[in-house]
Amino acid sequence: MSSVRLSDIPRTTGFRLALLFLGLGGAGAAILFGFLYVQTAGFLARDVDNGLAREIRVRAAMNATELARLMNDRAPLDPDNMRPFALFDRAANWMAGSRVTLPEPLPSPDQPFDFTLAHEGKAMPYRGVLHRLDTGEFFLAAEDVGPIQHFRHLLAAAMLSGGLVVLMIGLAGGMIVGAAALGRIDGVALAIERIINGNLSERLPLTRKGGDLNRLIRVVNRMVDEIERLMNEVKGVTDNIAHDLRTPLTRLLAGLERVRRRDPASEEYADAIDDAIVETRGLLATFNALLRIAEIEAGARRAGFKTLDLQPVITDVADFYEPMAERKGVSLVVDNEPASDGLLAGDPSLLFEAIGNLVDNAIKFTPPGGQVALRALRRGDHLGIEVSDTGPGIPEEERVAVLRRFHRVDKCRNAPGSGLGLSLVAAVAKLHGFDLAIEDAQPGCRVTLWHADIPGEDRRSDPQDSAPADETPPEPVARLA
Amino acid sequence: MARVLVIEDDRRTAAEIAAALGDHGFDVECAYTGRDGLLRATAEKYDAIVLDRMLPGDLDGLGILATLRTIRTETPVLILSALSAVDERVRGLRAGGDDYLTKPFESVELTARLDVLIRRHSMPQQETTLRVGDLQVDLLTRELRRAGRMVELLPREYRLLEYLMRHAGRVVTRTMLFEEVWGYHYDPQTNVIDVHIGRLRRKLEEGGEPQMIHTVRGSGYVLRAAE
Repeated sequence: MSSVRLSDIPRTTGFRLALLFLGLGGAGAAILFGFLYVQTAGFLARDVDNGLAREIRVRAAMNATELARLMNDRAPLDPDNMRPFALFDRAANWMAGSRVTLPEPLPSPDQPFDFTLAHEGKAMPYRGVLHRLDTGEFFLAAEDVGPIQHFRHLLAAAMLSGGLVVLMIGLAGGMIVGAAALGRIDGVALAIERIINGNLSERLPLTRKGGDLNRLIRVVNRMVDEIERLMNEVKGVTDNIAHDLRTPLTRLLAGLERVRRRDPASEEYADAIDDAIVETRGLLATFNALLRIAEIEAGARRAGFKTLDLQPVITDVADFYEPMAERKGVSLVVDNEPASDGLLAGDPSLLFEAIGNLVDNAIKFTPPGGQVALRALRRGDHLGIEVSDTGPGIPEEERVAVLRRFHRVDKCRNAPGSGLGLSLVAAVAKLHGFDLAIEDAQPGCRVTLWHADIPGEDRRSDPQDSAPADETPPEPVARLA
Repeated sequence: MARVLVIEDDRRTAAEIAAALGDHGFDVECAYTGRDGLLRATAEKYDAIVLDRMLPGDLDGLGILATLRTIRTETPVLILSALSAVDERVRGLRAGGDDYLTKPFESVELTARLDVLIRRHSMPQQETTLRVGDLQVDLLTRELRRAGRMVELLPREYRLLEYLMRHAGRVVTRTMLFEEVWGYHYDPQTNVIDVHIGRLRRKLEEGGEPQMIHTVRGSGYVLRAAE
């Protein structure tokens, strides 16, 4: 796993999610703490105010002289001025009790107020209530609220430091989550880089706790599998093309150079030119076949589609190849299943060519005395075509490969043919929605094409499909109808 | 001598086509743009037009073809196209083309097809018997006689022979035979047609008569009256 860049962490989803939850949790905690703080502080303040009010109520009935005596008695008992009491004359000058100076202006009577008193050089917070006696003197009851304030500060400090700790833990957690995510993403990104650079066998690493990410990685890995398979196929095809075209080109060049060198009599010249024409023709045929397959595979060839019955096409193929089979001593039979007639959309020429290629192959690989059978099939609602022979068959491991361009089963490499026939069959089958299967016929080989659509439900996407094509020169369907 | 107009923008290709057609005995003129081609095709009388499907400028092959057919010029048109057969063939024929050939093509294929087009156009077939040398076929009863001897043919063989006889003395390519007799359009890369022709030949020569169907190297066949 690669080194994690710190600057990238804030951009990770994990980190951002952690931050979001931290923010939400923090806001919740702040509201809760604030509520607690306000409630606690309020309760303490009310408690003090109630005590003071009680004090005033108890002393209110006394007159100034009695109060002065009482206070002078009590003052020495409270040296720290925890609960100071004092009496003032009508001009608010101190008369008796604790040595307290009233704040200016005078607070309104019977309303609690905050003030400070100097005590041992420090200003201490007090809360007091001033009561005016009937005779005009002022009476003050107060209480030292320093401890309460201290408690409130402690409470606030505890909440703040707790919040800070939570914030730190949250940030650290976010960093760890983000770094882990970055690590995983980096691993995947590096693997992708290697794939881009051409190492198609590379796969994305699955992570231990991957979860969602692993699901994505598995899908991507499957995609890379498919790409690798296709690339290998393309590479194989390209190699084969290069090989199959180089051989005739080499012969062509050698032949032309030979006559140029020897400057022979005109008869030999003509032969050499004829040879060159034959080679060039073969090359063109190969190119054309490749182009046609590519075209059919691209699904571009639809204008020739019409509604047709497979049986007449099969009969025509048999009719066309029959002399060839006879010459080889192979019997070619058409053995259509009952009720295997039915209409489907297709290009008759392409279907003829595809079935023809299968029959051509079958005849080629069936020894004299053998049989090649052509069948129109029906299973339920599905139509099909089958070409079977009594030849050597195709080994199971070769059955996918034979559909590739230029592939030839090794032992048949010297048989004539371009190696493109079955590729064309596969392309035509795909264009028509046929499933192609190669099976062992014991003995021999059986190729079946099953039409995926139910006959009658033609894919008439192209409006031209339904137009009669009778204006074009001889079309098979018109003739066979 | 048949006059043929070649509308083809590539001058070297046009020159090769003109040479091939000239060697075959046609009187050839070339036009290198769609505009020029259309002007000549409408102003003068030709027996056939060889038309490139893809022409530069605003007037391409199918445009010329459509214009010609609109003004009721019935000169047979053979379309040449670099677009391999595909849907283009159907499109070209629908637009009023009489035949369609994909590049690269062999000169024999082109001249043979032009021959057929010109003949089909110039003489409507109303005869009830075809006769080439000592070979005679009754088109109504489908009876074939060679030097008085009845020859039995399968339906497909009959169609092969009829086509060869209708174009007696001219080269007919394998692809043309395949398209005409079997009715499918592609170039079968096999010698199957040779085998069919071989059977037909044997039946025609069963009585020890001389050969009438001759193979033209690499391209096709020609039916000639035996000397």
